[in-house]
Amino acid sequence: MRMLRTLLTAAVLATLSLTAAPAPLQADHADHAGHADHAPQASPARQAPWPEEVVELFESLAIQDGGRIKPLHTHASFLLLRLNGKRSVRLEASEDEGLGKQKLNAVEWFLDVLFYPAAAADYGIFLVQNVDVVTAIGLSVDGKDRRDHYSFNELRPGIDRMFQLAGEYARIEEKNRTPVQQQVYLLASNMREYLDLSGHMEFARREIPLGPVAELGALFGDQRSIHISDVVAQLTPLLALRDKLTADGRPAADVEAVSTVVIAASELLARTESMAMVPPSVEAPLKAEWLTPSDLFFKSYEDGGASEYTIDVLRGFEGLAGTTADSAAFTQELRSLHGLLSSRADQRGEYGKIGLELTYYKSKVLDYSHYMFVLAFLLMAFLWLRPKNSVLYTGTFAAVLAGTLLLIGAITLRCLIRDRPPVSTLYETVLFVTGTAAVLGLFLELLNRRRIAISAAAVFGVIGLFIANGYEVLDKRDTMPALIAVLDTNFWLATHVTCITIGYSAGMLAALLASVYLLAKAVGWRRSDPGFYPALGQMVYGVLCFALIFSTVGTILGGIWANDSWGRFWGWDPKENGALLIVLSQLVILHARMGGYLREHGVCMATAFGGTVIAFSWWGVNLLGVGLHSYGFTSGISTAVWSYYYIQWGIVGIGALTWLRERSDRNVPTTTSM
Amino acid sequence: MGAIIRLFGSFGLSCTLLILLALLTWLGTLEQVHTGLFEVQKKYFESFFLVHDFGPIALPLPGANLVMCTLAVNLLVGGILRLRRSWDTSGVLVIHLGIVLLLGASYVKNYHSEEGHLTLYEGQSGNAYESYYRWELSIGRDLGGGRLQEYLVPEEEFITQAASGAVSLTSEALPFDVEVTHFMANCRPMPKGPMFEVEVPVIDDFFLQRERLNPTAEQNVAGAYVTARFPDGTHQAGIVWGLDTAPWTITAGGKEWTVDLRHQVYPMPFSVTLDVFTKEEHPRTNMPSLFSSDVTVSEPGASTRPVKIAMNEPLRSEGLVLYQASWGPSNARPGEPLFSTLSVVQNPADQYPLYACIVIAIGLLMHYIRKLLGYMRTEAQR
Repeated sequence: MRMLRTLLTAAVLATLSLTAAPAPLQADHADHAGHADHAPQASPARQAPWPEEVVELFESLAIQDGGRIKPLHTHASFLLLRLNGKRSVRLEASEDEGLGKQKLNAVEWFLDVLFYPAAAADYGIFLVQNVDVVTAIGLSVDGKDRRDHYSFNELRPGIDRMFQLAGEYARIEEKNRTPVQQQVYLLASNMREYLDLSGHMEFARREIPLGPVAELGALFGDQRSIHISDVVAQLTPLLALRDKLTADGRPAADVEAVSTVVIAASELLARTESMAMVPPSVEAPLKAEWLTPSDLFFKSYEDGGASEYTIDVLRGFEGLAGTTADSAAFTQELRSLHGLLSSRADQRGEYGKIGLELTYYKSKVLDYSHYMFVLAFLLMAFLWLRPKNSVLYTGTFAAVLAGTLLLIGAITLRCLIRDRPPVSTLYETVLFVTGTAAVLGLFLELLNRRRIAISAAAVFGVIGLFIANGYEVLDKRDTMPALIAVLDTNFWLATHVTCITIGYSAGMLAALLASVYLLAKAVGWRRSDPGFYPALGQMVYGVLCFALIFSTVGTILGGIWANDSWGRFWGWDPKENGALLIVLSQLVILHARMGGYLREHGVCMATAFGGTVIAFSWWGVNLLGVGLHSYGFTSGISTAVWSYYYIQWGIVGIGALTWLRERSDRNVPTTTSM
Repeated sequence: MGAIIRLFGSFGLSCTLLILLALLTWLGTLEQVHTGLFEVQKKYFESFFLVHDFGPIALPLPGANLVMCTLAVNLLVGGILRLRRSWDTSGVLVIHLGIVLLLGASYVKNYHSEEGHLTLYEGQSGNAYESYYRWELSIGRDLGGGRLQEYLVPEEEFITQAASGAVSLTSEALPFDVEVTHFMANCRPMPKGPMFEVEVPVIDDFFLQRERLNPTAEQNVAGAYVTARFPDGTHQAGIVWGLDTAPWTITAGGKEWTVDLRHQVYPMPFSVTLDVFTKEEHPRTNMPSLFSSDVTVSEPGASTRPVKIAMNEPLRSEGLVLYQASWGPSNARPGEPLFSTLSVVQNPADQYPLYACIVIAIGLLMHYIRKLLGYMRTEAQR
């Protein structure tokens, strides 16, 4: 499709047979491709906060991005997250005069970049992790911290160098780039996204001046300059006029004046390529490509004329650009453009999930779930100080229950939004593993009411959602992306992936319980309670058995899926091996227990170690970067995974020391028996 | 004898073998970062013994094949034959029987299965599939009228010996004997220049240059030197190479014979015509969302039927399974014709893993639900 577009552009320009002579607007816009000068058109600074209605209308516009339709809210949030490392912008006091608000959310920031690009160019939204990146592109960094924010205007003098270096580094394989090279590369890619955004509305702000040709005047009602929408509306007559003037042997300047109008329009529109917010016609098939203003122009050219809808949409954008100074008028324009775009999306059946997704993100349901688990964690800490306090016990239970229900709600919303089973990406495994572990903890607590399972659920919830959030911030990409062909199958996602993930969850919970056992025993905690350790050991065993069921069935189902998509049951691929390692480690523990090689303490040591086997399969193999399954490769996760390995190995080591100490204690009276 | 049976049925052996298998799996996974999957699979998983380089230490280990065979014995003896028969262990017995079924599936797959691919452009048909990496030598003669007399030599009959020495292939049907030497698993014919010497024979100014083995097995191109020895004592020598566009030809008794080294070809009981190949991307991205091949399957003496083969939706017919594997050429411009590659697997045990999975799941549930109920009873009494 992109290639077709380029060919088409060439075709349009060829039919215009432009030979030389800069068009009036060319000096301003030929620069776009070369990034020589990125000066946004002067636009006055915003005088008041964006009205609530504007923000609400704007964030519920739909955009096709990354292969799916999503609210502009999601798009803006992840874009800002990529640039800024978080989903809001805090403005310096000087930028903030008269605005009455210090902090912008992603949508307000997005609106500013679109409609007040000159002011937004001063927002410090480019987060640079290492100051060397900025010196590498030839800028001075006086007064900046090692990790600091930069505004577009601060980076502007270094942009050419940045793109040049990024071009060189792109040829280096990602794993061979130095950290600074990688960050220059990422900064350039962020800069490209920013330039696309800040230039998007340029077409709607600009007017194209008309040359002194009588027929042009006649075509456009004797205006001195016209909007893009006028050009698109008169595209066919314009092209016909150009041909007529040529045939009549009119001076070259006259022909050129006509050609220039079309060329100027197509060049202004070239900056809108990145945002497809216009649904195609209702007849176009589902999953058809949505259109950018630039696409509308070329479509009108192809169709031999613009539809009324096209003109209305382009006028809608122009209306917004023209009324930024008048809040009420702007709101009115936005209302009608929103109606135009969303009603067609709705007719195509592509707007239905927008509201759901907005609810998901704006309700912050995951955050509230996290708060609940944190609350449960605090209550639990007090509960262990006052074990008999029934208010604390009920409170802990209720908080875990609330956190779990909110998490289940979040997962359910995600399923509804994407029409998919709960787990289809690495991010979603974290949510699902946490949710499953919390449910298991609640269930176990109901069975034995020993306060242990509920405590483990609280800890799991706090850590799990912390990791989920960390992953999202690290990855900075839409967490509900389109899936590649082989993964796009609800049957196998629902069976194999769900089973394996439940296996991960139970195995991790067992490892957590076993770690508690080992650490508690090492410090002699609750030594006076004779039932405590056997009960904990029994829970470890029970959860481990539960894990084995799902790991085993999930792993075999994975083989059956592989047999259905690649023609082989087992291929020793790293992810397959990881799953096998989990099953094997659990089998060893259970058989060694049956054979009498491991007792309670030994089972706990092995299970705590088993946690690292799961971490290896779940995250570690993805870091290897080989195989068919390395879909979740993300640098930076490595540190977290290795920390977990070390912690668990440390706990196993402590368990071994405790065991040795206990054995020597037991052997004191009968030293000769060994 | 009793002691041996006890040993083979023991928990100690199970644990040792499971730990060994886990160790091999782990080492084999890490090794894939440096070596390709194919080599790792041969060294760690399909072997009886291996030596793993642990930094400066060379660690001898049993191969996964040996471990798994012993584990199978352990499972049969300890997990089934000597398992105490009671309701308590009924679930365990079912689980173990399921695993035996799974092992059976892998045995059948290993020794009674063939695989290859069928690559077609739209409009083309095929009734045979070609192995990805197994070679065969074809010695043939055009009988006219589209008929071909072919003498086929599968790779196990010549490559090992021909790699180090010479193999003589004789048949009453052939007016000459064929001697194969210098078989190379990956090589390339090169013109012999005057400025260097080579250790292999040079034929018509060409020789076979040995190449490093490619970790992706199907990218290796084999080659060999062949000599036709005639009853009158004369001989003719030539080079055969896997990617040759035309076979080597010799004339014997006034008839023209061809000698060709090619990927092994397996006939299929039906023919497949590719009608339409579809490749879709998620809108406004380069991410594939769908590959599918609309084909027509025609069996001799039966009516033809249209079938759609897509990712995760293979065609199962007559003991063969056809998958959507890949497509090309990858550098095709929009509108240019594309080909679709269908993987073809002939595996009698194709569906066994599914049955095994169901049996194992039932066994696991039987066993652990009993345990859970027991636990709930004790906790309720407390």
